[in-house]
Amino acid sequence: MVSDRTWRNLAVELRRSHLAKLGLVLVAFILFVAIFAPVLAPHDPEQTDPGEANLPPLGFSETKTETTSEMVDGEVQIVEEEVQIDATSEHPLGTDYVGRDVLSRVLFGARTSIIVGIVGTALAALFGVTVGLISGYYGGRLDDGLMRAADIMLAFPSLVLAIALVGLWGRQTKKYDDPFQTWGLTPDMPEHVVVPITVILVVALVNWVWFARVARGEALSVRNEEYIKAARATGKRDLELRFAHVKGIPIPYPGGIITEHVLPNSLTPILVLATIQVAAVILLESALSFLGFSGANLSWGLDISQGRDYLSSAWWISTVPGIAIVLAVVGINLVGDWLRDALDPGIDQGEGGV
Amino acid sequence: MSLGRFLVRRTLQGLLVVWGVITVVFFLRLLSPGDPVTFIAPLDASPELKERIAEDLGLNEPIYVQYVEYLGGLLQGDMGYSYQRGLSARSVIWARVPATVELAVAASVVAMVLSIPLGVVAATRRHGPADYGATLFSLVGISTPNFWLGIMLILVMSVQFDLFPTSQRQVGFLESWAHLVRVDFGDPSISFPLRVGSFADSLLTWLQHITLPAITLGTYFTALITRLTRSGMLDELGKEYVTAARAKGLPETLVRYRHALRNTLIPIITVLGLQLGTLIGGAVITEEVFAWPGLGSLLIDAINARDWPLIQASLIVIGVSFVVINIAVDAVYGYLNPQVGYE
Repeated sequence: MVSDRTWRNLAVELRRSHLAKLGLVLVAFILFVAIFAPVLAPHDPEQTDPGEANLPPLGFSETKTETTSEMVDGEVQIVEEEVQIDATSEHPLGTDYVGRDVLSRVLFGARTSIIVGIVGTALAALFGVTVGLISGYYGGRLDDGLMRAADIMLAFPSLVLAIALVGLWGRQTKKYDDPFQTWGLTPDMPEHVVVPITVILVVALVNWVWFARVARGEALSVRNEEYIKAARATGKRDLELRFAHVKGIPIPYPGGIITEHVLPNSLTPILVLATIQVAAVILLESALSFLGFSGANLSWGLDISQGRDYLSSAWWISTVPGIAIVLAVVGINLVGDWLRDALDPGIDQGEGGV
Repeated sequence: MSLGRFLVRRTLQGLLVVWGVITVVFFLRLLSPGDPVTFIAPLDASPELKERIAEDLGLNEPIYVQYVEYLGGLLQGDMGYSYQRGLSARSVIWARVPATVELAVAASVVAMVLSIPLGVVAATRRHGPADYGATLFSLVGISTPNFWLGIMLILVMSVQFDLFPTSQRQVGFLESWAHLVRVDFGDPSISFPLRVGSFADSLLTWLQHITLPAITLGTYFTALITRLTRSGMLDELGKEYVTAARAKGLPETLVRYRHALRNTLIPIITVLGLQLGTLIGGAVITEEVFAWPGLGSLLIDAINARDWPLIQASLIVIGVSFVVINIAVDAVYGYLNPQVGYE
């Protein structure tokens, strides 16, 4: 489905642009971290240790003056004590207010962001592209109706709509067994991956419109092309159920003119849009969990909000996960720029940052 | 098409969208779990009391009657009654609008003032340090979540250097013109404006409090517009009319600012119109970070309290203002770009 010319364009652009290389490296790194978090993390991210709370990251050891009042011979005396708080290599990025390891939490946080980013975008694309292709291909009343519905969706800023929906539907999550745990590779790590289901659904519901618009535009532009007319003339139906036989088991899939001729033509802009949307979705997820609307226990946005009360004593709790978000989103945006420059689809990109 | 006809047509289309927005917001409540009565009634409420509350809210009527009554109420400016606050939703929202508008305007001003010069400089000194700096800034600015940026600004500017207050708008922009300073005697919920001090004091208070939130909300747009200005200017400066203008002997500043920049601004306005949702969404979360008493923090409070009339009213206000501003952006766009006109 991907032509040689497309590959060549991608390769040429990649060789030309250092930023594209940086983007690919960042994305590969984040994916690697998200997949292997339990192997890479030095500690269980949920393990609290009040004795080791608010330890600074390496290189930021500090001395603090602690004042305590003591009773000496029946008199209250205020004792000032210089306390040396040493960073330890046990916790290279420090610990949070209940002694959880910041590095481990950031590594695991990548999982939530990546899962929500990819699954949420995939659902949005599936729904949006289906609606958009049908709308653009048939046109007429159906198209008018669907596009008015899209206008109404667009009348709410995506973050506002997402906040309203998650706030109202509650913070549903689903636990999945961590494969590394199942294979017995990482005995000290959490047993489950907690996936914020409501957030994923809401993200898809909020973002499908952008995919619908792009797919519709592409379908509109080809619906009267000769090759589509030719396919129609052969008696091919617009949409039909086909079966692929895998080891004798029939697996249904949609066939027909729309999926076989219209869809392939619009794949490039959809791919570019999807890449940029993953970045937008990661920002949206972090905002929702920052506001406490997520339910995921390990999330960058959640950690940032938890560190807010400790800005004067432990700045790293909020700072570190934010840097992780910026790196992930910069990486994905750079890959998006690379695809856009190489493939040049010319589309709206949807709402961006949070 | 003339501007008048354009406005009439867009307004009619907009009304249709507004009606859709109201309908979606109304039915949102039915889709969400939980009985609104239980959020209003005291825990030990008798069944009779609950029945009376349900009666009062009109919940015993069939859905379509409730819907028609809600629409009818809105037409008369009645947006429902917030039981938690003991006030009409309209008065609660009205009190919050100025703070949000101030924040959004201040952020746009920050973005415009910083980004366009930055983009122009980057484009005219291509491959220089300014260009790389601007490119890096716009890349990172677009990718930074604004709530984190806000917290980092508080960390550096307020906690470390004590330059700006961390939160709470004390006085409104308009109030500052009347030399008012908000006094709360220890309880912010019953604060009221008093005429204390001079206009300068009052305005300074306003500026101090709005600076960090405005930077927080404005950074994404500054980054975006810098990027657009840079690439737009590069495009325009390579075109033939620019070469012609230079050949004719026009001073370079005139070529750049009078000709190239003006053409660059047109697509920027389109993108800004598309990004309006990001501005409003960003305002919601910026308000939450800085305890800014606007519509966004109101919406979040209302959702957490399940204060239905207030949730619906604030969503409708946000949706409607979005539609209205979009029409205005299209009108400005048609004015600036006669090629497109009012289509």
